[in-house]
Amino acid sequence: MSFEIRIPGLGAGMSEGKLVAWHVKDGAAVREGDLLYTLESEKTAQDVDAPADGVLKIIGVEEEIYPVGELIGTIG
Amino acid sequence: MGLAKAASDAADVDTDTLLEIYRRTALINRTDEKFRALLMSGTLRLVYYPVRGQEVVSAAMMTALRPDDYLVTTYRGVHDQLAKGIPPKILWAEFTGKATGACKGKGGPMHITHPETGVMVTTGIVGSGLPIANGLGLSSLLKGDGRVTVVCFGDGSTNIGAFHEAMNMASIWKLPVVFLCQNNRYGEHTAFADSTSAGRIVDRAPGYGMNAVRVDGNDASEMYAAAKAAVDRARAGGGPTLIEAMTYRMLGHVFGSNASYVPKALQEEAVREDPVPRLRQKLLDLQVPEATLAGIEQAIDGVIAEAVEFALSSPYPDIGEIRKDVLGQEIAA
Repeated sequence: MSFEIRIPGLGAGMSEGKLVAWHVKDGAAVREGDLLYTLESEKTAQDVDAPADGVLKIIGVEEEIYPVGELIGTIG
Repeated sequence: MGLAKAASDAADVDTDTLLEIYRRTALINRTDEKFRALLMSGTLRLVYYPVRGQEVVSAAMMTALRPDDYLVTTYRGVHDQLAKGIPPKILWAEFTGKATGACKGKGGPMHITHPETGVMVTTGIVGSGLPIANGLGLSSLLKGDGRVTVVCFGDGSTNIGAFHEAMNMASIWKLPVVFLCQNNRYGEHTAFADSTSAGRIVDRAPGYGMNAVRVDGNDASEMYAAAKAAVDRARAGGGPTLIEAMTYRMLGHVFGSNASYVPKALQEEAVREDPVPRLRQKLLDLQVPEATLAGIEQAIDGVIAEAVEFALSSPYPDIGEIRKDVLGQEIAA
């Protein structure tokens, strides 16, 4: 099955997040727990890991700011 | 009564019981981890209260119960619900608001209810579960069905009026209720000492003539011994018990919240006394093979993966469901 990767809501005050950089190439296989991308929100950078095994399809663009809930990739 | 009694009983907990407690502990621990992983990746979006650090309290308490005994818990209660035996598939489906969930996706994480496994109600209002537990206890007393009700709540809720009313009534009517206070040192974002006048929750029980015990809730044997004694007492007609289980909330109040107000020394102490590796090591010391524990963990990961897939692929409830399950008797739309 396919897992959607969306900008997470980290706390009530967060409305958007910046996709700083992907650490995996489009179309590459990932394992659950692998580092996926770096997210910046409220001036804090955080690592986001893969929630499942599968192949990453990248949708979101590096250095772009997206609203919470925006689809930036899938793992299927 | 008291710490000394619980400690002396603790030695009697057999390895099979401890293994069952570990199985439930691992289910809670890995479910909690999975929820946080799926929230961080944005795959799920819901209000989630992490229970990391409180696994053993619930696992040991619920292992002391019969499957048909009752549980009342709070919105910070995924550990209690899982330990009581709710099927992970329908728990995940309800948390994600799907039609296949325990409440058809209409209750969400705040109201997990599954009478088939004795999860009678999950309340979203602090302290509100205690009088409800008394109602269930009274029904068991009147029917003579021998069931025991456990109600879980935090240290903060013992400052709510309903706690005191329920303690008094349960005591005077000798209700078969176990009041399980999971003292995790924080009421939402407020430290225990800043909000609670009593030094120990257990000290409030004598005011209501109630049997009470304070235990290290993160020690499986000690927690189980106290739970078993309280359940046996309630079932035998001896009335209610207040258990103050000392534990610790290792992550913030709610997923994504800032917990930088927690003193560093307290957090470090909690990591040192993490109940999950502590119970795992205890089982290894009792000569349980590593492969047995790894097998339990692997089986649980399979169950969770299946539950996640079930939840994600299930439909949302139909709009026509909105008027149903509100009143005892359906009315025309």
